[in-house]
This record gives sequence, C-alpha cells and structure tokens, in this order.
Amino acid sequence: MNRTLILLRRELLSTFVSPVSWIILVLFLLVMGANMYISIIAVGGDLRQLLSSAYGGLVFWFMFLVIPPLVTMRSLAEEHRQGALEVLMVTGISDASVVIAKWAASSIFYFTLWVCLLPLWGVLSLVGDVEPGLLFTTHVGIFFIGSAFCANGILASALTAHPLAAAGLSFTFNIALFMVHFFSNLFRPGEIELLWIEHVSAIHHMVDELTRGILDLRVPVFWSTLILFSLFLATRVLERRRWA
Amino acid sequence: MIEIEDLSLSYGDRRALDGISFKVPAGAVTGFIGENGAGKTSTFRVLTTWLLPDAETQRVVVDGVDLLRDPQTACTRVGVLPEQLALPGELRVAEFLHFRSGIKNVPSRQAKAEVSRVLEAVNASDMGQRRIDTLSQGYRQRIGLADALLGDPPVLLLDEPTRGLDPRQISQFRTLLDELRGNHTLLLSSHVLGEVEQLCDRICVISKGKIRLEEDRESWTQRLGKAGRWQLELAPSADAKKVTQWLNQQPEVQSVKRDQHHWSIQSDAALGFRIGEKALEEGWVIMELRSEPATLESLFLEWTGTDSGIPAKDGEGS
Repeated sequence: MNRTLILLRRELLSTFVSPVSWIILVLFLLVMGANMYISIIAVGGDLRQLLSSAYGGLVFWFMFLVIPPLVTMRSLAEEHRQGALEVLMVTGISDASVVIAKWAASSIFYFTLWVCLLPLWGVLSLVGDVEPGLLFTTHVGIFFIGSAFCANGILASALTAHPLAAAGLSFTFNIALFMVHFFSNLFRPGEIELLWIEHVSAIHHMVDELTRGILDLRVPVFWSTLILFSLFLATRVLERRRWA
Repeated sequence: MIEIEDLSLSYGDRRALDGISFKVPAGAVTGFIGENGAGKTSTFRVLTTWLLPDAETQRVVVDGVDLLRDPQTACTRVGVLPEQLALPGELRVAEFLHFRSGIKNVPSRQAKAEVSRVLEAVNASDMGQRRIDTLSQGYRQRIGLADALLGDPPVLLLDEPTRGLDPRQISQFRTLLDELRGNHTLLLSSHVLGEVEQLCDRICVISKGKIRLEEDRESWTQRLGKAGRWQLELAPSADAKKVTQWLNQQPEVQSVKRDQHHWSIQSDAALGFRIGEKALEEGWVIMELRSEPATLESLFLEWTGTDSGIPAKDGEGS
C-alpha cells in the first residue's frame, strides 16, 4: 500500500507539472465555460434547469468521453515504450500497485478538471437559485463514470505501447458504453431489455437520474464494478508481458 | 553471487536463451560479452525478474535467493543500470532518488541519508538539486548508477554502462566501477572489449543464446598470450624452406604462414628471442621481426564468428 501511495504521489507530481495537462485544463475550462454560457441563454436564465442542460448536452458528453483517453494514453504505453515501466517494475512493486496508482492519478486529475468548474456555480449561486444537492449528485456521477472511463484508458494503455493507439482504443471502449443507450429505442417501456440497458447506460444515469438529484446506489455499484473489472484486466495484461 | 543453471527463455517460437549456465562469484566483476541479439539483455531481464524464464530452467540463484521460487525477494538483491535509461526529466535528482528509495522499500527515516550516500558513491553529491533534463549524459549515467545502488543491493547488473559517454566520462565511470569492486557482485555487459579487459576479473561469452566461454582473467590472459602472432621477414639469402621447417619444429608455435620471405607465426611471446638467436647462428638477415599481441577483441571475433571458434561449454551444443 505504501508503495502504491508513493507511486501515486509521483504520478500526480508528473501530471501536474506536465504542460500537456495544463493545455488540457485550459481547453477544458474554455469549452465548458462557453458551454455554460450558451446553456444559460438556452434555459432563459432558469438556473434550476441549467445543470441538466449544461451537463447533459453534446458538448458535455464530448468532453466527458474524449478527455479520459487523453489523460490516460501515456500512463503505461509511453512508459513501456521508453523502458521506464521495466525500471519501475523490477523493484518488486506489484503489477496491481502500478495499475492502481496510474488509474488513481488520472482519475484525480480528471475529477480536478470538473472541480475547477465549481467556482462558476459559486458565482451563479450569488445571482440565482443553484441547488447544492443537484450539484452533489451530478459530481458523484462524474466521479464514478469518469473514473470508469479512466480505468478503461489504463486498460487500453496496458494493451499497446503506442499512446495514440491507446487513446483510440480507450475512446472506443468509452463510446461503446455511451452508445448502449441508443439501443433503448428498440424496446418499449417496461420491457426487461430496456431495464437492462438503463442499468448500464451512462446517459440514463447522468441525464435521467443524477442531474435531477436522484442518487440510486446501483449507479456507484455498477461503475465501481466496471472500474474493478478494467483494472483487473489491466493488471493481467501487465503480468502477461513477463511471459516472453 | 549469481548461479544460473540451464536457463532458457523463448520469445514465442524464437529461443533467446538456450539452456545457459554460468556463475558469477561474489565480489567479482564479470564481463558479459556477446554480439547484438546474443542474449545478454534477455539474461539481465530474467535476473531482474522482468521476464519469467521457460519452465525447463533448472536454477537461477541471486545472492543465495532462488529467483524461480521467490522472485519478489530476489529482485530486491539486484540493482540494475539498464542500457536504455529512462529518467524523468521534470524531477530534480534528489526528488527522483527519494521516490526510487520509497519504491525500493528503503525506510522513510533512512531515505535522506541513503540518497546522500548513493550520490556520494557516484561523485554527484552537488547534483541533488539539479533537474534531470539539464544533466549531461555522463551525469545521467551516474544518476542511473546511483539509482541501482539504492538499498545497497549485493548484485549489480550494468548493461552497456559507458554507452554514449565521451572519453573523459568513460574514464571517470571506470574509476567509479573500480571503487564498487569487492563490495558488490558486478555483471557488466559491454561491447567495448577494451573496457571489459581492463575492468573485469572474469568473462562470460554468449553467442546465439548459448554460453561459449566462461573464464577468469588468468586463463584468458594465457589464451591471449598463445594467440599472439609474430611477423618475420628475412633477407632473400635465407633458405625459406629451412626457416619454415625450423619454425614448425618449435613447441610453442601454433601455426606458420609463409609468403616468399615473410612469415606470419602464431605463437607466444617467448619465440622472438629464439628467432633472434637462431638468426645469429644461421646468418639469417632479419629485415623485420614484430610482435602482434592478441586482444580480447580478436579472440571475441574468433569465438563468436563460427561455432567452431571455441567449443561451447559442456552440454551446450557444438
């Protein structure tokens, strides 16, 4: 555990001194700031509607799906290519520790991006009615679903030695989870298949539940399970490298 | 010490190590030499536990720890300076070494003292606050070696440690390695055979995944002596047939090649004096008598050029 924390600290340090991270942060704030501005106009100044509008539209989903692959693509792929992963792993640190530390660092950075938007909500609360409960449940969703997307990114990064290929693979995993929701059009309300889709649909969880203040325990349980599954697979992939 | 018995490693269908066996005595500096793709880095990767050997491998022991049974403990006994140094440029030297000491389970109370110790050991005490990406190649190598020394592992694996260094840095690095002799068991992989000749107490030659030779300094020095050549040129007045016949009769002569009145003789160093004596006795006029001592490089080319250069060790093929 101690080694995992040491590696996590080092990963966070590297992430936050990297110019790429700061470029991602600035672009994210610019795009999401513009998105908030347009959403305020779209909801006619009704701040109670703003959350579901700003955190449920196309821009939100684009940023939500695209940024995790960018954050995680170098984690294992680049290090493997440069030989840094070998130098790290011959110290006796476990594969699981490496995977967990890399995932935690990327998830913390990713969540920090969303936390950086909170001052905007703070300012809005001075001029209108912003419900803290809705903000809380929305950010719980961002935390769990975003962390699962990051876990997919770590798995993709373990599967290949090329960062761009890792980003592409990770985006494919995430978009597949996103697209599941569109199958719901094939079924009528009440059908068991539709219930299954709603259980695993990121769109359903965010738009229909979390941004409306509904926090169902099944949401954190499902996404936590997905995180564990992706990290388990990433660990196995890392182990496989030792079998020349 | 390191003991390897029947170590095999395959990458898919390709066999990188084909049942190699050798020993590296404690405290000795052993040169591990071979051409590119011979299996040096693969051996290092097994010793650091980065790669797992094939199932038929009999024994790999590092400092008394069986690597096949307890790889977690075995890898703590090994410090490695890899050929491809991947140091994080954004960190300061001391920050990097602190991080590495934590990862290597050095107790946090001792980490600061340990970082100072290894920086001092590699003569880079004043580099602690420098960012790694501002260091010269020579200092980067030193920081890589300092990292390998963290936790004071008894076994050090150095893969091409002087690659990319200028002559002054090479000389300083050799002095550094010389200082580590005795306290650590060193396995040094290098293509610079002069360096191996200068630094190593033993050599181990690997070619195509098989160990071709394992010798201590005394044995290979003797071999070098026997493999030296003499170049002899006599005035045409000398009877060439008689000279060739006399040369062939000398017990230390391995082979004689003649071209008109020029002879190339493979023999040890003592022959020169005997030729001089015989020339005086027979009235041969010596135009040229020159010794060409053998080098490790010439022997290496012979050993690895063909399978017949030197027989493989017992049980390791032709």
